[in-house]
Amino acid sequence: MDKSLQTQTKSVSSTRLSFWRGVVENQWFLLLIVVFLISALTGYVNPRYFMQQNLFNILEQISVLGLVAAGATILIISGNFDISVGSIIGLSACIMAILINQGINEFLVGVIGVLVCIFCATLNGVLSVAFRTPSFIISLATIGVYHGIALALTQGVIQTIYGKFEFIASTKLFGFFPLLFFISILGYLFVHFILKYTQIGRRIFAIGNNPRAAFLAGINVPLNTIFFFFLNGILVGLASVLILSRLGAALPSTGAGIELRAIGAVVIGGVPITGGRGNVLGTFLGVLLMGVISNSLNMMRVNPYFQEVAYGLLIIFAVAISSIRYRWLGSK
Amino acid sequence: MEEKIKILSLNHITKDFPGTRALDDVSFDLYAGEIHCLVGENGAGKSTLIKILSGAEKPDQGEIVLFGKTYRQLTTKQAIDLKIATIYQDVDLVDSLTVADNIFLGVELRDRFGVVDTQQQEKIARQIMSQLNIHIDPKLLVEELSPAQKQILQLIKALHREARLLIMDEPTSSLGIEETKALLELVRNLAAKGIGIIYISHYLQEVTQIGDRITVLKDGKTVSTYHKSQFTIEQLIRDMVGRDAALFYHKEKVPIGNVGLKVENYSRKGLVRNVSFEVRRGEIFGLGGMVGSGRTELVNLIFGVDKRESGELYLDGKQITPNSPRQAIRNKVCLITEDRKGSGIFPIRSVKENMAIVHNEQKGNGFIRLSRERQFVSQMIDALKIQLASIEQDISSLSGGNQQKSILGRWLLTQADVFIFDEPTKGVDIGSKEEIYRIMTDLCRQQKCIIMVSSDMPELISMSDRIGVMRDGELVAVINARETSEEELLRVYLGYQNSKEAGGKNGQVTTDSN
Repeated sequence: MDKSLQTQTKSVSSTRLSFWRGVVENQWFLLLIVVFLISALTGYVNPRYFMQQNLFNILEQISVLGLVAAGATILIISGNFDISVGSIIGLSACIMAILINQGINEFLVGVIGVLVCIFCATLNGVLSVAFRTPSFIISLATIGVYHGIALALTQGVIQTIYGKFEFIASTKLFGFFPLLFFISILGYLFVHFILKYTQIGRRIFAIGNNPRAAFLAGINVPLNTIFFFFLNGILVGLASVLILSRLGAALPSTGAGIELRAIGAVVIGGVPITGGRGNVLGTFLGVLLMGVISNSLNMMRVNPYFQEVAYGLLIIFAVAISSIRYRWLGSK
Repeated sequence: MEEKIKILSLNHITKDFPGTRALDDVSFDLYAGEIHCLVGENGAGKSTLIKILSGAEKPDQGEIVLFGKTYRQLTTKQAIDLKIATIYQDVDLVDSLTVADNIFLGVELRDRFGVVDTQQQEKIARQIMSQLNIHIDPKLLVEELSPAQKQILQLIKALHREARLLIMDEPTSSLGIEETKALLELVRNLAAKGIGIIYISHYLQEVTQIGDRITVLKDGKTVSTYHKSQFTIEQLIRDMVGRDAALFYHKEKVPIGNVGLKVENYSRKGLVRNVSFEVRRGEIFGLGGMVGSGRTELVNLIFGVDKRESGELYLDGKQITPNSPRQAIRNKVCLITEDRKGSGIFPIRSVKENMAIVHNEQKGNGFIRLSRERQFVSQMIDALKIQLASIEQDISSLSGGNQQKSILGRWLLTQADVFIFDEPTKGVDIGSKEEIYRIMTDLCRQQKCIIMVSSDMPELISMSDRIGVMRDGELVAVINARETSEEELLRVYLGYQNSKEAGGKNGQVTTDSN
């Protein structure tokens, strides 16, 4: 009896302990504070920042990046990278735009666009596994391939779709909530569900942390790695549909650079670049922080070129924080 | 013998590692031009001693006197400056460079333009080698050399750096008889040049051939030191073993059933040769042998980790030969690896995930029910008395013993029939050790088949029912554990059947009690 009481108190104190550990480990608390601080500062300088329309604008602006970053979260935790995402989006957007202009059903075109992304992303995984080459290098090579195909298909000419896909970007749920952001949230939830409640999720963490141990625990590492790329492809596919809807036109360079910002957001969100750890809440806050900073700089009329500088500094800052923190946690 | 200069004395060196005392008041000395051999079982403390001399480890107590100067501890840089060269069994050369480049690595000769003078280097390399009657083309790439040539090249490299103290750790373990002969000849030559040599080998024949003195280490203590011609191989073996009864675990007797696991003809090129044996239900089949004899390679083959040349596995008469760990697990075979950190745990994942992973893989429909998972993991933690603050804490924050118990729990949750343990109590404290033995005995009672690789002789003798001995990739003997002694076992490990019939490294022993 005495013993059961003891274990009970132990488990209570341990949940409390793991809560605080969570705060320190997950970086989300810190990120939230930074988001609030920046918002307060910007709002003080320019009160228009806090207008409802601007706030929803921010959410809309980060929707596409959010989907890409959600996918990148899966890959980075598993120890992989896909830096060809930007050119996959460009290729998919161009193909969709061409098909729309040929009068093909919009819904069908959307499906084709998603499939193109799934195919390209999965191909990266297959090549990486087949040739035992880091996916970073493989996707470095496929950037050129996908981008080149898009250039060949469009002859480098911009493909305008004359408002065909616009309803996705312009729809506001309940009259105010951007549909784009809603879809983005679904993407986060999808990844969160996978990471937390599925066997695939456990494999993502296991392979990212120790592939050798995963293999010895009976996990088929190559096949699962390919599947992670496939999952990323779904999210990238959605992102490509949304981006086409927002822009109303496609170029091979549509989406260029988004993969790096997504990786940045994931890192800011607390996933170590070596993988094995992390969650999607961190990624969401990382994306939000990027959106907030970009919007604040606009609001404060900072030269837009400096935005790139700000992103860079932000990532360095985030990496520095997590490096210091892990050293602190590790050496306690 | 002419006048001798003492170049090294280690005085009362003690070194502790968590859970074990690796060196306990060890004293050791070496004269210029002397070959002083160091022998002892796996884990006797030989490697730690070398590491202290090469600056890789710091002693907790004692002093090191080198060339007349006294040091509390050495750094790697000091060791290099003092011209101490260590030659490990796994060769420490750059494969993609030439022989000459390797000899001059870090001390390259330059011509007047500051460019490496390859020709001059090759010329000098050729000179050094011809003095020693060695003929290796200095222009060859190291990757083209044989293992023996690589060992020789390491010696030449050390010689070129004017090494005064040479430490050789199992230099002949991958060499044939002729090559060994040549290497020993070279070692003798180097000693004649006044270099002091510490020579470590478990091939006692070699040791008796070249050693001026021999020191026997056991469990971190020096047992004895003999001068040339004062010792016999018999005597050395007796000194290497013979432990306190307290170190032996008293395993409860468990009834042994029918043959469960049949291992047939397992081979892997160069590492494992035609190994066959059977394990009965409720039996622990121990696997002994010196490190490098192919024990770990064998169990990895059985578990489907590496590609095998031949081999079939049967469980209760049914063929289940796995081609991957995944297939092995599906057929109720599991392996608790030796390298817990590298291939066992997921260090930055929670204890819960670490323990549940294989169970989830087996039972899963793709989804994980967190509450059920928490429940069965907690039960297992209680059953194994794993000490932790929370099942959500990273497994790497647990002690070695609790990590090992968690990994054990991972496999107990799978309801396997065959448990393969590779060094089950390596790096584990005494308390956890007993706990692990208790769990293994429980598994026997449940009529599981157990294979246990162990370098810990008391463990091997007290836990096993029968002990298979591996030597050079072959299963050379199967011995009844109740009727054997450490001494007999070590003799079989080393290949010395008895004093008259000193087998040598390729000698055949035919103690097959099966």
